[in-house]
Amino acid sequence: MKEQVVCKTSDIQPGEMKETSFGRQEVLVCRTPDGNFYAFMNQCIHQGAPLDKGMICGATTDKSKPGSYDYCHEGEVIRCPWHGREFSIKNEGRMLANPSKKIPSFKVRVENENVIVYK
Amino acid sequence: MPKYQIPIVDTDIHERVQYKDILEYLDEPYKHYITNCHWIQEKHMPYTQPSVAGVDRADAKIPDGRPAGSDLKFMQKQLLDDIGHEVGILTSALDPSPSSMHGWHEMAVALASAYNDWQIENWLEKDERLYGSVHIAAQDRDAAIKEIDRIGPHPKMVQVLLPIDDIMWGDPFYHPIFEAAEKHNLMIGMHHNEPPVYYGKWPRYFIEWHTLIPTAHMKQITSMMFNGVFDKFPNLGLMMIEGGFTFIPHLMWKMDQQYRDLRHEVPWLKRKPSQIMKEQVRFTTQPAEELTKKEFMSLLEQMGTDEMLCFSTDYPHWDYDSPYRALPNLDTELKQKIFAENARAFYPKLPNKKEG
Repeated sequence: MKEQVVCKTSDIQPGEMKETSFGRQEVLVCRTPDGNFYAFMNQCIHQGAPLDKGMICGATTDKSKPGSYDYCHEGEVIRCPWHGREFSIKNEGRMLANPSKKIPSFKVRVENENVIVYK
Repeated sequence: MPKYQIPIVDTDIHERVQYKDILEYLDEPYKHYITNCHWIQEKHMPYTQPSVAGVDRADAKIPDGRPAGSDLKFMQKQLLDDIGHEVGILTSALDPSPSSMHGWHEMAVALASAYNDWQIENWLEKDERLYGSVHIAAQDRDAAIKEIDRIGPHPKMVQVLLPIDDIMWGDPFYHPIFEAAEKHNLMIGMHHNEPPVYYGKWPRYFIEWHTLIPTAHMKQITSMMFNGVFDKFPNLGLMMIEGGFTFIPHLMWKMDQQYRDLRHEVPWLKRKPSQIMKEQVRFTTQPAEELTKKEFMSLLEQMGTDEMLCFSTDYPHWDYDSPYRALPNLDTELKQKIFAENARAFYPKLPNKKEG
Protein backbone atom coordinates (compact mmCIF):
# COMPACT_ATOMS: atom_id res chain seq x y z
CA MET A 1 0.00 0.00 0.00
CA LYS A 2 1.56 3.27 -1.06
CA GLU A 3 -0.78 5.78 0.54
CA GLN A 4 -3.86 5.84 2.69
CA VAL A 5 -6.21 8.30 4.34
CA VAL A 6 -5.77 7.52 8.04
CA CYS A 7 -8.02 10.15 9.62
CA LYS A 8 -9.50 13.64 9.28
CA THR A 9 -7.51 16.65 10.39
CA SER A 10 -10.25 17.38 12.93
CA ASP A 11 -9.66 13.98 14.57
CA ILE A 12 -6.40 15.18 16.09
CA GLN A 13 -6.13 18.54 17.81
CA PRO A 14 -2.77 20.37 17.91
CA GLY A 15 -0.67 18.85 20.70
CA GLU A 16 -2.41 15.48 20.49
CA MET A 17 -1.66 12.11 18.92
CA LYS A 18 -3.68 9.14 17.75
CA GLU A 19 -3.17 5.53 16.76
CA THR A 20 -4.17 4.72 13.18
CA SER A 21 -3.59 1.95 10.67
CA PHE A 22 -1.59 2.13 7.47
CA GLY A 23 -2.22 -1.17 5.75
CA ARG A 24 -1.25 -3.74 8.37
CA GLN A 25 0.99 -1.37 10.26
CA GLU A 26 0.00 0.47 13.40
CA VAL A 27 0.92 4.09 12.91
CA LEU A 28 1.04 6.93 15.40
CA VAL A 29 -0.06 10.24 13.92
CA CYS A 30 1.06 13.28 15.91
CA ARG A 31 -0.05 16.85 15.47
CA THR A 32 2.30 19.46 16.86
CA PRO A 33 0.98 22.79 18.25
CA ASP A 34 1.76 24.56 14.94
CA GLY A 35 -0.82 22.30 13.30
CA ASN A 36 1.58 20.09 11.35
CA PHE A 37 1.15 16.32 11.15
CA TYR A 38 3.80 13.63 11.59
CA ALA A 39 3.55 9.84 11.48
CA PHE A 40 5.67 7.17 13.15
CA MET A 41 5.58 3.46 13.77
CA ASN A 42 3.44 3.05 16.89
CA GLN A 43 6.01 0.96 18.71
CA CYS A 44 8.87 2.06 20.91
CA ILE A 45 12.24 1.04 19.50
CA HIS A 46 13.42 0.14 23.02
CA GLN A 47 11.09 -2.66 24.14
CA GLY A 48 8.11 -2.40 21.82
CA ALA A 49 5.61 -0.44 23.93
CA PRO A 50 2.57 1.06 22.16
CA LEU A 51 3.52 4.73 21.93
CA ASP A 52 -0.05 6.00 21.63
CA LYS A 53 -0.53 4.99 25.29
CA GLY A 54 2.23 7.38 26.30
CA MET A 55 2.03 11.13 26.13
CA ILE A 56 2.83 14.05 23.89
CA CYS A 57 4.53 16.75 25.91
CA GLY A 58 7.54 19.01 26.15
CA ALA A 59 10.95 18.22 27.56
CA THR A 60 13.80 19.62 29.56
CA THR A 61 16.57 20.68 27.18
CA ASP A 62 20.35 20.58 27.05
CA LYS A 63 20.34 24.30 27.79
CA SER A 64 19.52 23.37 31.39
CA LYS A 65 22.26 23.95 33.95
CA PRO A 66 22.75 21.99 37.16
CA GLY A 67 19.99 23.10 39.50
CA SER A 68 18.01 24.99 36.84
CA TYR A 69 15.66 23.46 34.29
CA ASP A 70 15.01 24.74 30.78
CA TYR A 71 11.76 23.18 29.54
CA CYS A 72 10.30 23.73 26.10
CA HIS A 73 9.17 22.04 22.86
CA GLU A 74 5.70 21.60 24.39
CA GLY A 75 3.68 19.25 22.19
CA GLU A 76 6.73 18.22 20.18
CA VAL A 77 7.95 15.25 22.21
CA ILE A 78 6.55 11.71 22.48
CA ARG A 79 7.13 9.94 25.80
CA CYS A 80 6.93 6.15 25.87
CA PRO A 81 4.24 4.75 28.19
CA TRP A 82 6.65 2.27 29.76
CA HIS A 83 10.15 3.59 30.39
CA GLY A 84 9.38 7.20 29.56
CA ARG A 85 11.96 7.51 26.78
CA GLU A 86 11.56 10.72 24.83
CA PHE A 87 11.46 11.13 21.05
CA SER A 88 11.47 14.40 19.13
CA ILE A 89 8.54 14.62 16.73
CA LYS A 90 10.10 17.44 14.71
CA ASN A 91 13.53 15.84 14.55
CA GLU A 92 12.65 12.64 12.68
CA GLY A 93 11.53 10.80 15.82
CA ARG A 94 15.05 10.80 17.28
CA MET A 95 15.54 9.79 20.90
CA LEU A 96 16.52 12.79 22.99
CA ALA A 97 19.02 10.81 25.05
CA ASN A 98 20.54 9.09 22.01
CA PRO A 99 19.79 10.90 18.73
CA SER A 100 21.41 8.16 16.66
CA LYS A 101 18.28 6.08 17.38
CA LYS A 102 14.91 7.04 15.93
CA ILE A 103 11.41 5.71 15.56
CA PRO A 104 10.76 4.71 11.94
CA SER A 105 8.62 7.40 10.34
CA PHE A 106 6.16 7.74 7.47
CA LYS A 107 5.48 10.64 5.17
CA VAL A 108 2.28 12.62 5.75
CA ARG A 109 0.35 15.16 3.72
CA VAL A 110 -3.04 16.80 4.13
CA GLU A 111 -5.55 17.04 1.30
CA ASN A 112 -9.13 18.28 1.70
CA GLU A 113 -9.10 17.75 5.47
CA ASN A 114 -7.81 14.20 5.00
CA VAL A 115 -4.59 13.13 6.68
CA ILE A 116 -2.76 10.88 4.22
CA VAL A 117 0.13 8.65 5.21
CA TYR A 118 2.41 7.43 2.45
CA LYS A 119 5.82 5.91 1.95
CA MET B 1 -2.98 -17.68 21.46
CA PRO B 2 0.02 -16.81 23.64
CA LYS B 3 2.87 -15.11 21.86
CA TYR B 4 5.77 -16.60 23.76
CA GLN B 5 6.93 -20.03 22.72
CA ILE B 6 8.88 -21.20 25.76
CA PRO B 7 7.52 -21.50 29.31
CA ILE B 8 7.76 -18.38 31.42
CA VAL B 9 7.98 -18.27 35.19
CA ASP B 10 7.73 -14.56 35.93
CA THR B 11 9.30 -13.90 39.32
CA ASP B 12 8.04 -10.36 39.92
CA ILE B 13 4.46 -9.30 39.29
CA HIS B 14 2.98 -6.49 41.35
CA GLU B 15 -0.65 -6.91 42.26
CA ARG B 16 -2.13 -3.91 44.02
CA VAL B 17 -4.74 -3.67 46.73
CA GLN B 18 -6.92 -0.64 47.25
CA TYR B 19 -7.49 0.00 50.92
CA LYS B 20 -11.25 -0.27 50.54
CA ASP B 21 -10.84 -3.81 49.24
CA ILE B 22 -8.82 -4.95 52.23
CA LEU B 23 -11.32 -3.73 54.83
CA GLU B 24 -13.33 -6.94 54.92
CA TYR B 25 -10.21 -8.84 55.91
CA LEU B 26 -9.38 -6.50 58.80
CA ASP B 27 -10.75 -6.63 62.33
CA GLU B 28 -11.61 -3.60 64.41
CA PRO B 29 -10.19 -1.24 65.41
CA TYR B 30 -7.91 -1.40 62.37
CA LYS B 31 -10.78 -1.15 59.92
CA HIS B 32 -11.91 1.98 61.76
CA TYR B 33 -8.48 3.57 61.43
CA ILE B 34 -8.58 3.21 57.65
CA THR B 35 -12.26 4.02 57.14
CA ASN B 36 -12.69 6.88 59.59
CA CYS B 37 -9.19 8.07 60.35
CA HIS B 38 -7.79 7.82 56.80
CA TRP B 39 -4.72 5.77 57.55
CA ILE B 40 -2.29 5.64 54.67
CA GLN B 41 1.14 4.16 54.50
CA GLU B 42 3.99 6.44 55.51
CA LYS B 43 6.05 7.59 52.52
CA HIS B 44 9.50 9.08 52.51
CA MET B 45 10.67 9.23 48.92
CA PRO B 46 10.99 12.89 47.92
CA TYR B 47 10.53 12.39 44.18
CA THR B 48 7.58 11.98 41.91
CA GLN B 49 8.48 9.24 39.52
CA PRO B 50 9.62 10.93 36.34
CA SER B 51 7.65 8.74 33.97
CA VAL B 52 4.36 9.02 32.14
CA ALA B 53 2.11 7.41 34.77
CA GLY B 54 3.93 7.51 38.08
CA VAL B 55 5.40 4.11 38.90
CA ASP B 56 3.15 2.29 36.44
CA ARG B 57 3.07 1.48 32.77
CA ALA B 58 0.68 4.05 31.32
CA ASP B 59 -1.15 1.36 29.38
CA ALA B 60 -1.67 -0.78 32.50
CA LYS B 61 -4.16 1.53 34.19
CA ILE B 62 -7.50 -0.25 34.44
CA PRO B 63 -9.94 1.26 31.89
CA ASP B 64 -12.43 2.13 34.66
CA GLY B 65 -9.80 4.31 36.33
CA ARG B 66 -8.51 1.95 39.01
CA PRO B 67 -4.73 1.80 39.40
CA ALA B 68 -2.53 -0.61 37.47
CA GLY B 69 -2.27 -4.09 38.97
CA SER B 70 -5.57 -3.90 40.83
CA ASP B 71 -7.68 -6.09 38.55
CA LEU B 72 -7.03 -9.76 37.83
CA LYS B 73 -9.00 -9.88 34.58
CA PHE B 74 -7.08 -6.95 33.14
CA MET B 75 -3.78 -8.50 34.23
CA GLN B 76 -4.77 -11.77 32.59
CA LYS B 77 -5.58 -10.03 29.34
CA GLN B 78 -2.57 -7.72 29.21
CA LEU B 79 0.09 -10.03 30.65
CA LEU B 80 -0.67 -13.63 31.55
CA ASP B 81 -2.76 -14.61 28.52
CA ASP B 82 -1.08 -12.30 26.04
CA ILE B 83 2.43 -13.52 26.73
CA GLY B 84 1.45 -17.00 27.84
CA HIS B 85 2.85 -17.19 31.35
CA GLU B 86 3.07 -20.62 32.90
CA VAL B 87 3.66 -19.19 36.38
CA GLY B 88 3.62 -15.71 37.85
CA ILE B 89 4.82 -14.89 41.35
CA LEU B 90 3.04 -12.02 43.07
CA THR B 91 5.17 -9.59 45.03
CA SER B 92 2.61 -6.85 45.84
CA ALA B 93 2.84 -3.10 45.36
CA LEU B 94 4.41 -2.78 48.83
CA ASP B 95 1.48 -0.61 49.86
CA PRO B 96 0.79 -1.62 52.52
CA SER B 97 4.26 -2.89 53.38
CA PRO B 98 3.85 -3.99 56.99
CA SER B 99 7.53 -4.64 57.65
CA SER B 100 8.35 -1.10 56.51
CA MET B 101 6.30 0.59 59.22
CA HIS B 102 8.37 2.50 61.74
CA GLY B 103 5.78 2.28 64.49
CA TRP B 104 2.37 0.93 65.40
CA HIS B 105 3.32 -2.72 65.05
CA GLU B 106 -0.20 -3.86 65.96
CA MET B 107 -1.51 -2.20 62.79
CA ALA B 108 1.35 -3.70 60.78
CA VAL B 109 0.53 -7.20 62.04
CA ALA B 110 -3.16 -6.75 61.21
CA LEU B 111 -2.38 -5.42 57.72
CA ALA B 112 -0.08 -8.35 56.95
CA SER B 113 -2.75 -10.90 57.82
CA ALA B 114 -5.45 -9.02 55.94
CA TYR B 115 -3.24 -8.68 52.89
CA ASN B 116 -2.44 -12.39 52.87
CA ASP B 117 -6.10 -13.35 53.08
CA TRP B 118 -7.02 -10.85 50.34
CA GLN B 119 -4.21 -12.11 48.12
CA ILE B 120 -5.21 -15.74 48.50
CA GLU B 121 -8.92 -15.20 47.92
CA ASN B 122 -8.70 -12.72 45.06
CA TRP B 123 -5.62 -13.84 43.17
CA LEU B 124 -4.10 -17.20 44.12
CA GLU B 125 -7.40 -19.05 44.19
CA LYS B 126 -8.68 -17.37 41.03
CA ASP B 127 -5.84 -18.09 38.61
CA GLU B 128 -3.90 -21.32 38.72
CA ARG B 129 -0.82 -19.64 37.25
CA LEU B 130 -0.38 -17.22 40.14
CA TYR B 131 1.71 -17.94 43.25
CA GLY B 132 2.07 -15.69 46.25
CA SER B 133 4.31 -14.09 48.84
CA VAL B 134 3.59 -14.21 52.57
CA HIS B 135 3.47 -10.73 54.05
CA ILE B 136 4.60 -10.29 57.63
CA ALA B 137 5.30 -7.51 60.09
CA ALA B 138 8.83 -8.57 60.89
CA GLN B 139 9.32 -5.96 63.62
CA ASP B 140 6.95 -8.02 65.76
CA ARG B 141 8.93 -11.18 65.29
CA ASP B 142 6.69 -13.53 67.21
CA ALA B 143 3.58 -12.33 65.39
CA ALA B 144 5.47 -12.71 62.10
CA ILE B 145 6.26 -16.32 62.92
CA LYS B 146 2.62 -16.97 63.77
CA GLU B 147 1.59 -15.52 60.43
CA ILE B 148 4.12 -17.69 58.59
CA ASP B 149 2.75 -20.72 60.45
CA ARG B 150 -0.83 -19.68 59.58
CA ILE B 151 -0.35 -18.83 55.89
CA GLY B 152 2.86 -20.65 54.99
CA PRO B 153 1.19 -24.04 54.46
CA HIS B 154 -1.03 -22.61 51.71
CA PRO B 155 -0.02 -24.58 48.61
CA LYS B 156 0.41 -21.46 46.49
CA MET B 157 2.55 -19.42 48.88
CA VAL B 158 6.17 -19.80 47.78
CA GLN B 159 8.11 -17.19 49.75
CA VAL B 160 8.11 -14.76 52.65
CA LEU B 161 8.45 -11.20 51.42
CA LEU B 162 10.75 -8.74 53.17
CA PRO B 163 11.09 -5.15 52.03
CA ILE B 164 14.48 -3.50 51.68
CA ASP B 165 14.30 -0.25 53.60
CA ASP B 166 16.44 0.51 56.63
CA ILE B 167 16.53 -2.86 58.41
CA MET B 168 19.45 -5.22 57.84
CA TRP B 169 17.74 -8.59 57.74
CA GLY B 170 20.77 -10.72 58.62
CA ASP B 171 20.52 -9.60 62.26
CA PRO B 172 20.11 -12.66 64.50
CA PHE B 173 16.92 -11.12 65.91
CA TYR B 174 15.21 -12.12 62.65
CA HIS B 175 16.64 -15.64 62.40
CA PRO B 176 13.54 -17.27 63.92
CA ILE B 177 11.61 -15.83 60.94
CA PHE B 178 13.99 -17.63 58.60
CA GLU B 179 13.59 -20.79 60.64
CA ALA B 180 9.81 -20.57 60.25
CA ALA B 181 10.12 -19.97 56.50
CA GLU B 182 12.44 -22.93 56.06
CA LYS B 183 10.06 -25.13 58.05
CA HIS B 184 7.30 -24.43 55.52
CA ASN B 185 9.49 -24.79 52.41
CA LEU B 186 9.22 -21.06 51.80
CA MET B 187 12.05 -19.03 50.34
CA ILE B 188 12.77 -15.41 51.30
CA GLY B 189 11.98 -12.82 48.64
CA MET B 190 13.47 -9.38 49.14
CA HIS B 191 12.25 -6.38 47.20
CA HIS B 192 13.28 -2.81 47.81
CA ASN B 193 10.66 -0.45 49.09
CA GLU B 194 12.26 2.90 49.89
CA PRO B 195 15.88 2.21 50.75
CA PRO B 196 17.74 5.44 51.50
CA VAL B 197 20.86 4.66 49.49
CA TYR B 198 23.07 7.67 50.32
CA TYR B 199 24.47 6.95 53.75
CA GLY B 200 21.00 6.72 55.22
CA LYS B 201 19.67 9.64 53.18
CA TRP B 202 18.08 10.25 49.82
CA PRO B 203 20.09 11.53 46.86
CA ARG B 204 19.10 14.74 45.15
CA TYR B 205 17.72 13.05 42.02
CA PHE B 206 15.57 10.05 41.33
CA ILE B 207 18.05 8.88 38.70
CA GLU B 208 20.73 8.67 41.41
CA TRP B 209 18.43 6.70 43.70
CA HIS B 210 17.29 4.34 40.97
CA THR B 211 20.84 3.76 39.74
CA LEU B 212 21.99 2.83 43.24
CA ILE B 213 19.22 0.46 44.28
CA PRO B 214 21.58 -2.47 43.59
CA THR B 215 23.74 -1.19 46.46
CA ALA B 216 20.81 -1.70 48.84
CA HIS B 217 20.47 -5.26 47.56
CA MET B 218 24.20 -5.87 47.96
CA LYS B 219 23.99 -4.72 51.57
CA GLN B 220 21.24 -7.21 52.34
CA ILE B 221 23.06 -10.14 50.73
CA THR B 222 26.20 -9.21 52.66
CA SER B 223 24.21 -8.95 55.89
CA MET B 224 22.52 -12.31 55.39
CA MET B 225 25.83 -13.89 54.35
CA PHE B 226 28.10 -12.84 57.20
CA ASN B 227 25.45 -13.18 59.87
CA GLY B 228 25.42 -16.83 58.89
CA VAL B 229 21.81 -17.14 57.74
CA PHE B 230 22.62 -19.45 54.85
CA ASP B 231 24.70 -21.88 56.88
CA LYS B 232 22.23 -21.85 59.75
CA PHE B 233 19.32 -22.57 57.37
CA PRO B 234 20.79 -24.64 54.54
CA ASN B 235 17.44 -25.22 52.87
CA LEU B 236 16.59 -21.54 52.78
CA GLY B 237 17.03 -19.56 49.58
CA LEU B 238 17.03 -15.83 49.00
CA MET B 239 15.49 -14.27 45.88
CA MET B 240 16.68 -10.70 45.32
CA ILE B 241 13.91 -9.02 43.39
CA GLU B 242 14.39 -6.06 41.06
CA GLY B 243 17.86 -5.07 42.13
CA GLY B 244 19.74 -5.98 38.98
CA PHE B 245 22.32 -8.68 38.41
CA THR B 246 25.42 -7.21 36.84
CA PHE B 247 26.98 -6.66 40.28
CA ILE B 248 26.94 -10.38 41.11
CA PRO B 249 30.53 -11.21 40.04
CA HIS B 250 31.88 -8.19 41.92
CA LEU B 251 30.08 -9.15 45.11
CA MET B 252 31.21 -12.79 44.87
CA TRP B 253 34.84 -11.81 44.31
CA LYS B 254 34.78 -9.16 47.01
CA MET B 255 33.19 -11.40 49.65
CA ASP B 256 35.54 -14.30 48.84
CA GLN B 257 38.58 -12.05 49.10
CA GLN B 258 37.36 -10.59 52.38
CA TYR B 259 36.58 -14.07 53.69
CA ARG B 260 40.12 -15.24 53.04
CA ASP B 261 41.43 -12.39 55.21
CA LEU B 262 38.71 -12.16 57.84
CA ARG B 263 37.24 -15.64 58.17
CA HIS B 264 38.11 -15.62 61.87
CA GLU B 265 35.47 -12.98 62.50
CA VAL B 266 32.68 -15.08 60.98
CA PRO B 267 33.80 -18.66 61.65
CA TRP B 268 30.24 -19.91 61.25
CA LEU B 269 30.63 -19.64 57.48
CA LYS B 270 31.52 -23.13 56.31
CA ARG B 271 31.62 -22.37 52.60
CA LYS B 272 33.08 -19.63 50.46
CA PRO B 273 30.59 -16.77 50.09
CA SER B 274 30.55 -17.21 46.31
CA GLN B 275 29.66 -20.87 46.78
CA ILE B 276 26.85 -19.94 49.17
CA MET B 277 25.55 -17.44 46.64
CA LYS B 278 25.58 -20.02 43.87
CA GLU B 279 23.68 -22.46 46.03
CA GLN B 280 21.23 -20.24 47.91
CA VAL B 281 20.83 -16.80 46.32
CA ARG B 282 18.96 -16.00 43.11
CA PHE B 283 18.28 -12.75 41.24
CA THR B 284 15.41 -11.56 39.12
CA THR B 285 16.48 -10.09 35.80
CA GLN B 286 14.44 -6.88 35.61
CA PRO B 287 15.46 -4.09 35.26
CA ALA B 288 17.94 -5.61 32.83
CA GLU B 289 20.72 -3.36 31.67
CA GLU B 290 21.03 -3.35 27.90
CA LEU B 291 23.76 -5.90 27.33
CA THR B 292 24.89 -7.46 24.09
CA LYS B 293 24.86 -11.24 23.94
CA LYS B 294 28.64 -11.21 24.25
CA GLU B 295 28.49 -9.03 27.36
CA PHE B 296 25.72 -11.15 28.86
CA MET B 297 27.57 -14.42 28.26
CA SER B 298 30.75 -12.93 29.68
CA LEU B 299 28.84 -11.96 32.83
CA LEU B 300 27.51 -15.51 33.25
CA GLU B 301 31.04 -16.82 32.84
CA GLN B 302 32.20 -14.47 35.59
CA MET B 303 29.41 -15.72 37.86
CA GLY B 304 30.52 -19.28 37.19
CA THR B 305 26.95 -20.50 36.82
CA ASP B 306 23.95 -19.90 34.60
CA GLU B 307 21.51 -20.91 37.34
CA MET B 308 21.29 -17.71 39.37
CA LEU B 309 19.18 -15.53 37.08
CA CYS B 310 15.39 -15.78 36.96
CA PHE B 311 13.36 -13.80 34.47
CA SER B 312 10.93 -11.16 35.69
CA THR B 313 8.78 -8.51 34.05
CA ASP B 314 7.95 -6.26 37.03
CA TYR B 315 4.49 -5.83 35.52
CA PRO B 316 2.76 -3.36 35.72
CA HIS B 317 5.52 -0.95 36.64
CA TRP B 318 7.00 1.70 34.39
CA ASP B 319 10.32 -0.09 33.96
CA TYR B 320 8.63 -3.33 32.86
CA ASP B 321 10.85 -5.75 30.96
CA SER B 322 9.39 -7.39 27.88
CA PRO B 323 10.28 -11.09 27.53
CA TYR B 324 10.91 -10.49 23.83
CA ARG B 325 13.22 -7.52 24.12
CA ALA B 326 14.84 -7.13 27.52
CA LEU B 327 17.55 -9.78 27.25
CA PRO B 328 19.78 -10.59 24.29
CA ASN B 329 18.71 -13.47 22.08
CA LEU B 330 20.06 -16.46 23.97
CA ASP B 331 20.44 -20.09 22.97
CA THR B 332 17.33 -22.16 23.66
CA GLU B 333 18.68 -24.19 26.57
CA LEU B 334 19.94 -21.12 28.40
CA LYS B 335 16.73 -19.26 27.64
CA GLN B 336 14.70 -22.06 29.19
CA LYS B 337 16.79 -21.89 32.33
CA ILE B 338 16.56 -18.14 32.77
CA PHE B 339 12.93 -17.79 31.73
CA ALA B 340 11.60 -20.69 33.80
CA GLU B 341 13.73 -23.56 35.03
CA ASN B 342 16.02 -21.65 37.39
CA ALA B 343 13.03 -20.28 39.29
CA ARG B 344 11.32 -23.65 39.26
CA ALA B 345 14.43 -25.26 40.72
CA PHE B 346 14.66 -22.54 43.36
CA TYR B 347 11.11 -22.52 44.74
CA PRO B 348 10.31 -25.95 46.24
CA LYS B 349 6.58 -25.30 46.05
CA LEU B 350 6.35 -24.50 42.36
CA PRO B 351 4.97 -27.37 40.27
CA ASN B 352 7.06 -29.21 37.72
CA LYS B 353 7.13 -28.10 34.13
CA LYS B 354 3.93 -28.70 32.22
CA GLU B 355 4.22 -31.40 29.60
CA GLY B 356 3.11 -30.97 26.00
